[in-house]
Amino acid sequence: MIEVRGLTKRYGDVLAVDDLSFDVQPGKVTGFLGPNGAGKSTTMRMMLGLDRPTSGTALVNGRPFAALAEPLREVGALLDPGSVHPGRSGRNHLRVAARTNGIPERRVEQAIELAGLGSAAGRRIKGYSLGMRQRLGIAAALLADPRILVFDEPINGLDLDGVRWIRGLLRRLADEGRTVLVSSHLLSEMQQTADRLVVIGRGRLIADATTDEILRGLGNLQVRVRTSESGPLLAGLQAKGFTAQRVDDNELQVDDTTAEQVGDLAHALQVPVHHLTEVQQSLEHAYIALTSDHVEYHGGRPEETR
Amino acid sequence: MTTLTAAPGTSTRDTSTGRVLARACAAEWTRLWTVKATWWFLAAAAVVMLGIGTIAGLEAAGDADPPQGDPAWAVSRISAMPAQFALLALVLLAVTSDYATGGIVPALQWTPRRTVLFVARALVTVGTATVAGVLLAAGSAVAAFTAARPLLRLPVDEGLDVLGTVAVVLAAGAALAVGLGFLLRNAAGGLVTVFLLMLLLPLLLPQFGYEWMTELALVLPGTGAAHLLLGEVPGMTTTSSSVVLAAWAVGAVALGWARLVRDDANR
Repeated sequence: MIEVRGLTKRYGDVLAVDDLSFDVQPGKVTGFLGPNGAGKSTTMRMMLGLDRPTSGTALVNGRPFAALAEPLREVGALLDPGSVHPGRSGRNHLRVAARTNGIPERRVEQAIELAGLGSAAGRRIKGYSLGMRQRLGIAAALLADPRILVFDEPINGLDLDGVRWIRGLLRRLADEGRTVLVSSHLLSEMQQTADRLVVIGRGRLIADATTDEILRGLGNLQVRVRTSESGPLLAGLQAKGFTAQRVDDNELQVDDTTAEQVGDLAHALQVPVHHLTEVQQSLEHAYIALTSDHVEYHGGRPEETR
Repeated sequence: MTTLTAAPGTSTRDTSTGRVLARACAAEWTRLWTVKATWWFLAAAAVVMLGIGTIAGLEAAGDADPPQGDPAWAVSRISAMPAQFALLALVLLAVTSDYATGGIVPALQWTPRRTVLFVARALVTVGTATVAGVLLAAGSAVAAFTAARPLLRLPVDEGLDVLGTVAVVLAAGAALAVGLGFLLRNAAGGLVTVFLLMLLLPLLLPQFGYEWMTELALVLPGTGAAHLLLGEVPGMTTTSSSVVLAAWAVGAVALGWARLVRDDANR
């Protein structure tokens, strides 16, 4: 359980994080979503006691992270995979981590195996690809079997195998009842992995709801229709009060409707239809809709979130 | 996930600060010896101290008027003067490499109590530099003694005195380097500052001939170190040298600790 309350971080004139409040619940993958520079990393750094909040608090298991005696046993975190000494071997990096929290040496080998580092563990980190560094960071995060996991953009730099591995890992960790917070700007990725989404833009909370709610709440159904007589159909749709626009010469897009309605209308107008399809709003669209008007949603959403 | 067996009970147990510090020290020890820089600087200090010892011994042996029964410990004092800089660089890099590489982020994730991290790193690096300096100083005297045999002696009481002085000078210098490292968070800036304070300014300032510059040089840590190791610095006593060294060490440590505890990790 992570509780963020009124978290604010100001760098000079820039308000990087602005009065952010949300909870991260156990047993779910919570996606922390926002464009670059939205304040995701800064928020995570404050959660982990790296940066001092200008105001507000972030508690893990009810306590500030910086007060923990054995943090690795409670919170495993991967922030920047490049933030390691490149001259040390992966295994030695994990050994240092293990010593700090009194973790037995055999866990180091288990974590190496779990993260799929294999023989690379003996090599110096400077020779690692970004993907290998991500795996090393995840190995460190899982070292002491923590109940809370915080990953900042873990997909970055991974190949397809790695991405699939991360997805499975996040799912398993959440299914075991752990609290999992994953930040990303890859919206399609979050659509696949996250149960809940905390969306921020310019440091402010935009939405805090389940992924389904966000998709349903914003993803009004659209219909695309292709026809050789797009002019009469467009006129007919607009006459019936639909919001419709032309995509190209032979294709129209109709908002807030279903394929049945558009098909029936075309039939009534005796317009030949070549193709008719409902378009599911992707998170991408929902997200753009949210972030482009974030002040309005910021005030409006909290009631919907519980 | 066969290797992850959830054990929720472990998260609530409390661990004493002493144990957390002991673990942090063990981790710092591993950190120190798993990077090459430490070994290189230690090797450099060894080459300087043993090399100067051997050369001094050979010169004494080849002297037309060979010294009869002089203590070999004198060479430890001389060779410690240049060799201390290799050990101070070792200490400084052990602190600042975390800032250069971003390694301070995982370091603080694993040891979020910053005072614990500071104390552990200071103890391990200062201790390592001091012990290495004392051992190499002894090695330097033994090298001279061996190379000049049987002309020089190794009297125990003077040995203890010399090695004690080397320990004080290195401990104070290393503490200064730790403090500067945490304060400046930058290897180049730290090294330049250490060199200025410990070597260049104490040498150069008196050369200008202004009274105030000479007086300023007397309160620099390098002057204290030079007087304790080599003697012969006009205007300095053992007490004043020790006070100057200690004051710089304590001041730098306090500032470095304050910056680590108060500021964001690495911004």
